[in-house]
Amino acid sequence: MRIAFDDGTLLLENAPDTVPFAEWDDRVEEYRARAQHYREIRAWANGADGQATLNEATTTVENVEDDARAYSELALTPSVAIEPRKYQQEALSAWQANDRRGSVVLPTGSGKTFLAVQAIADAGVSTVVVVPTIDLMNQWHATLTNAFGDQLPDGIGVLGGGSHNVTNITVTTYDSAYRYIDEYGDQFGLLVVDEVHHLPAPTYQQIPEMTIAPYRLGLTATYERADGQHEELEDLLGTVVYREEVDELAGDYLSEYETIHLQVELTPDEREEYDEEYQIYRDYVDSHEFDLWKERGYQEFLKRTSYDPQGRRALIAKQRAEEIARTAKKKLDTLDNLLKRHYDDRTIIFTANNDFAYDISQEFVVPCITHQTETDERTAILERFRTGEYSMLVTSQVLDEGIDVPAANVGIILSGSASKRQYAQRLGRILRPTDERQPARLYEIIAEDTVETYVSERRRQGVTSDADG
Amino acid sequence: MLTADLARSRTYEDTITPKFIDTDDQRYRDTAEELIRIFDEHLGEPKGELEDTIDQLTVADTDYKIVQGLAKLLKDECEFETVAPVDPREIREELFAVANDNYPIVRQPTLGEDTKSIWVYSTVADRLEITLEECYRGMYADLEENQRLVRFGHRVSDEYEDTDGSTTTTRLTGDSEESYAEDTVTVDWLLTRYNLALAQAVLYDATEMRVRVWDSFATVFSYVKLFGLMHRIYPIDSDGNRVPSTDVADGYEAVLDGAASLFSKSRKYGIRMANFLPALPLCDRWEMEADILDEDSGLSSQTLSFELDHTEGLSSHYSAQSDFDSDVERSLAQKWKRANTDWELIREDDVLDLGAEVMLPDFAVEHPDGRRVLFEIVGFWTPEYLDEKLAKIRDADRDNLIVAVSERLDCSADDFEGMDDRILWFKSGIHVYDVVELAEEYAANTVLEE
Repeated sequence: MRIAFDDGTLLLENAPDTVPFAEWDDRVEEYRARAQHYREIRAWANGADGQATLNEATTTVENVEDDARAYSELALTPSVAIEPRKYQQEALSAWQANDRRGSVVLPTGSGKTFLAVQAIADAGVSTVVVVPTIDLMNQWHATLTNAFGDQLPDGIGVLGGGSHNVTNITVTTYDSAYRYIDEYGDQFGLLVVDEVHHLPAPTYQQIPEMTIAPYRLGLTATYERADGQHEELEDLLGTVVYREEVDELAGDYLSEYETIHLQVELTPDEREEYDEEYQIYRDYVDSHEFDLWKERGYQEFLKRTSYDPQGRRALIAKQRAEEIARTAKKKLDTLDNLLKRHYDDRTIIFTANNDFAYDISQEFVVPCITHQTETDERTAILERFRTGEYSMLVTSQVLDEGIDVPAANVGIILSGSASKRQYAQRLGRILRPTDERQPARLYEIIAEDTVETYVSERRRQGVTSDADG
Repeated sequence: MLTADLARSRTYEDTITPKFIDTDDQRYRDTAEELIRIFDEHLGEPKGELEDTIDQLTVADTDYKIVQGLAKLLKDECEFETVAPVDPREIREELFAVANDNYPIVRQPTLGEDTKSIWVYSTVADRLEITLEECYRGMYADLEENQRLVRFGHRVSDEYEDTDGSTTTTRLTGDSEESYAEDTVTVDWLLTRYNLALAQAVLYDATEMRVRVWDSFATVFSYVKLFGLMHRIYPIDSDGNRVPSTDVADGYEAVLDGAASLFSKSRKYGIRMANFLPALPLCDRWEMEADILDEDSGLSSQTLSFELDHTEGLSSHYSAQSDFDSDVERSLAQKWKRANTDWELIREDDVLDLGAEVMLPDFAVEHPDGRRVLFEIVGFWTPEYLDEKLAKIRDADRDNLIVAVSERLDCSADDFEGMDDRILWFKSGIHVYDVVELAEEYAANTVLEE
């Protein structure tokens, strides 16, 4: 029998009819199996006990020719000399005991990435790490480069966000992995899936299905899905091998900070244009009586904009008004003052859109990270910020869910989206403790008498209730 | 091709149809013309400005999906490039290094020693030996929106290509003959291409495609293979009904999907089917039927039917295989016309299904009394190509198959186990009567078979 990796599946040439997990493929007149069953099929072929053995008497199939496996063994030692925390060590042991398969549930900010680094070194095989967003991909790339970069001649690979560089340890997004897994599913012995609760979906599910990786690790803070689909994960990656609840870890990672709200006026020109555009939007919405404060009402409005020319104009008016408020000129004057005051501190400036981030980068000559920044440059900038070579950073919405950002003691929000969760997480990121000298400080600069004022109000309430709850 | 968000289709009961546009409709012709003009005018300009101009067209226009879709197809004909005298990343790193030693950098200096950004830019400009403006603009010249449109279709902007560092005026070299491909961007080209793209976009969610073709088999199956689709092939008659033997087939039905389709319906291969679609309009007569996963139904197994055929008037931008692949084949065909034999040489019209491969013998040799033999010429090659070809021929395991192989090939008779007596070795050209002799010996009688 010859096992070959064929376009995300295993082609089992000259296989006996007893071969497990396989279906007869009349198109090629051979048995075929999902790539995910590589490990079981190898075990079956090598004998019932699943142990690889050279003793032909105990093997089920004589002369197994394995052309499917294209991944390498690697001897890696993480170069970060941090002792694993107790729960990380326990999680790793539980995963090892489960034949290096299964998911680990740990709260956000508890070092899931660090656990994965340990697991990669432990498994000692080529590894692909699959993450939901380009931002997380960049973050993982930075961490893995720190840990293993100098031990791999080709460095850490990136597949996604415009990069197509596959190496022995490669980070990729769900979308890119789905697109390319039929091509690279034989290249990796360990599959790590971050935020694994996103995996059960007809498309993404094909990522684990189409890879032969015998070792699999899922990571998440929220394993259970409302639709029950997480049960699929057991078949795809293995069972949950370890779970640490939120309150057992909380406390260590939160610190005190003070928040200062600053309001700026729009310039007369901005005010005029803002009022004009906002009125177009308001008039349209009022005349159609959408219940905009409800999610459904807003959906209704959006739907109308796709066939009603006036609706489309209203949508654009709303976008323009928001843009004026977001990028109000006087915000830059206020920022100017803040930077004068804090030039000795470590400052991160947040904006909600890329253009504004680049404007600030050019105006104040500050390093800038947006989703357009290439992975290696992003890694280099963050590293320089970490070491103190850079003391300032401007960024658009890239520092979201689960991303480690080097600590800063001053945060300046120039504009932000209305999402409560995002806002709260941003605060948490900047204010991660490194230095006990002084409490961190967060400024929020908003445009007076615009939609931003309400958004800001809503945000603060969200944060407060989150903290209380 | 279109991005999924620009797709336009209509679902009615369990069918789905692209919302094709009427290419004669003046509204669309005007839009297409205006877009082409905008792209022309933005040669040499930043991508961000081009996109802003396009966005202006859609402000109060609910046809924005059409406008943006047409623009996407035009963008596919464009090249954008970073234009800067020094690698922008190097400029940035210099700037940040200088700036970090001199913070705060302020807009309104309050103290004499406050640094202004212009000082940072000119310091770095001097260090890199570029102008202040080049330094400021070059800092983010590699951002997508700052990249310049350097080529649109056949038109090239060669501004900024000078090496002495001085600015030159824009020269448009739209008349160079060799860059004038068939794909000259015109209103008709764009609108026709758009309809094809709408059909392709429906296929992004396809799980299986069934095609029926009555000509151009070699072309169609070479595209099936090129795009990595798997197939089951059935010979059909002129009405599209399946028939038992390829010898009596007028056409072929092919069921196309991918490797993992064996286990479950998957839209994974939809993009490949979309890529394959333009091969079909290369046929004079074709029909296509695809199963499209229905997102809205909420059931993962629910599919919609998408049907299309040659009457839709779609046209292809793919190239068809030339009528004759090689000189050897052409000269044999010419010689055959002059030869005195009842046997007829007929251009390939059989498709042998070999599982992962199809084999398309170059010719069939037929006698009026119903005898028929398939004739494959191993034409031009690389060693790998030849290996694959010989393996295919062995796998075909057909009795009525004869093969001509050039003696100039480094290929011994041993490679054809059990078939070597039906191989015709030739040096420079194939002799008609050698072929006839083999045909007499190996032809199967198709009349008796039925």
